[in-house]
Amino acid sequence: MSADNGFEPTIIGFLCNWCSYAGADLAGGSRKKYAANVLPIRVMCSGTVSPHHIVKAFQMGADGVLVTGCHIGECHYMKGNYMTAKRIPVVKELLGFIGISPDRLMLDWVSASEGEKFARVVTEFSDKIRSLGPSPLKGRVHGRVKEESQASA
Amino acid sequence: MYLEVMDGKVTGTLPSMNHPISEGSLCIKGWNAHEPVHSQKRLTKPLIRKDGVLTEASWDEAISNVAGELARIRDQYGPNSLAVLTSAKCTNEENYLLMKLTRAVLGTNNIDHCARL
Amino acid sequence: MEELKKKVKQALEEGKIHGFLGLKADEGDISPFFMTKDNIAELEKLTAPDGRYSLGKILSRIAAQNPGKAIGVMVRGCDERAIIELTKASQLGTASTVQFGVACTPQTAEKCNCPQPYPSTIDFGEKAKSVNHGELLTKLEQMSVEDRLAYWMAQFDKCIKCYGCRNICPVCYCQECTLEDKNLVPGGIVPPATPVFHFIKAMHMADRCIDCGLCEATCPSNIPLRTIYRHMRKVMQELFDYVPGRAADDKSPLGTLEEGGRLIH
Ligand code: SF4
Ligand code: SF4
Ligand code: FES
Repeated sequence: MSADNGFEPTIIGFLCNWCSYAGADLAGGSRKKYAANVLPIRVMCSGTVSPHHIVKAFQMGADGVLVTGCHIGECHYMKGNYMTAKRIPVVKELLGFIGISPDRLMLDWVSASEGEKFARVVTEFSDKIRSLGPSPLKGRVHGRVKEESQASA
Repeated sequence: MYLEVMDGKVTGTLPSMNHPISEGSLCIKGWNAHEPVHSQKRLTKPLIRKDGVLTEASWDEAISNVAGELARIRDQYGPNSLAVLTSAKCTNEENYLLMKLTRAVLGTNNIDHCARL
Repeated sequence: MEELKKKVKQALEEGKIHGFLGLKADEGDISPFFMTKDNIAELEKLTAPDGRYSLGKILSRIAAQNPGKAIGVMVRGCDERAIIELTKASQLGTASTVQFGVACTPQTAEKCNCPQPYPSTIDFGEKAKSVNHGELLTKLEQMSVEDRLAYWMAQFDKCIKCYGCRNICPVCYCQECTLEDKNLVPGGIVPPATPVFHFIKAMHMADRCIDCGLCEATCPSNIPLRTIYRHMRKVMQELFDYVPGRAADDKSPLGTLEEGGRLIH
């Protein structure tokens, strides 16, 4: 695999508190091996992940963005993930149109008991991003913007 | 450029869509040209700093004060010790006049415009 | 035009409308104007020129000042679509509108690249054919993703952050604009955060853009903004069969929590 080129992707993971975040915990607790490329950000519902967060992650140099939420019908806030399910495909289309491969954004549903699935999703997505290579936005980003946003972060 | 006026107050700016030069575009200063009009922070009367405190003054007093000080500094330190900064909020003609005043009367080329900041 | 003027005048005099918003020609200058019974002579200058303005947006400001009143407005195809979107978003408050429909000439329609150059009811003019030049969109869609990035980065780099595209847009109405959020778009830097600035705008336009083209017309840097928003309109139609500006009782799938489109299970 292209892992030999030494590229280790940075992936921002927006994980829903009620399911996938617990799923990730379970995966860790049961000592499942999975790729360590995902930097998890806990959100209260996948529906709160705005397109702005996703594009900001890319702008700040993420190679991929993973959004995980409760299965449809199991969202803690009833229909929060309906929003996610409708929104993410639109975001993917826009990313693709402005020149960021839509494959760099992934949505999946992982429940609190699916530690194994979480490990699989993360590993597969990391592999995919590894084969896609570094984000084309890296280095292209307006230098001063990058400095400033990192300073304020 | 058009100003939107509602009940006697300037509330917005619009570009002139069929203007042969700007062709419907404005820069950010143009788009916000209405904002200073009713601003509370606007200077409406001349103020002179007396003993460190800004004090209301008449136009005559203010103008002769400015003229006197400018002449004093010019005579004492030379014209190039003066500099003038003009404003995008003035008309072209006002900016032109200030340029004339600076070069012909004060005798310096030290004049610039805030749009170049 | 005389017919239309008469209609408006009558509506004003009979008190059917409190005021009227339209376009006027003043020594060749085209501008929007709002008038009431008190300055009825202004009506003489009413015109349906080539030049356009965001009448919908101006209408929403007038509506805010005149709650509960009926406002007459001259509408073209694009104005009508904008008013539909503004109504959906409750931007006209309790004011109601009486629309006077103006169909655009084939020349205007061509110039605007207008998908529907006439409103549903026409009081003046004749229906011109729809125009749909989408060469750039097709070209971009066929490009590789790398080439598209290079193309858009070069375009976005030209942006002088004048906010004109947002200011002129008839369906941009938020009091607090995400494009001014300092965390997303840091202040004092031109071009603005690339591509975040334009990405945000496009995302917000996805379920709202009524394809009037005013943003592109006002952009001092000639960025083909409308092409992005046209792509988003296409996406919304393909995924959810949703077209902004089509009907006032449509609900945006991105604005409601309901099921819709293809839910990924
Ligand atoms: S074409 Fe531009 S100005 Fe017109 S509605 Fe769409 S985004 Fe707004
Ligand atoms: S109108 Fe053009 S230059 Fe101005 S902010 Fe929009 S894209 Fe940038
Ligand atoms: S609470 Fe998990 S997706 Fe809404």
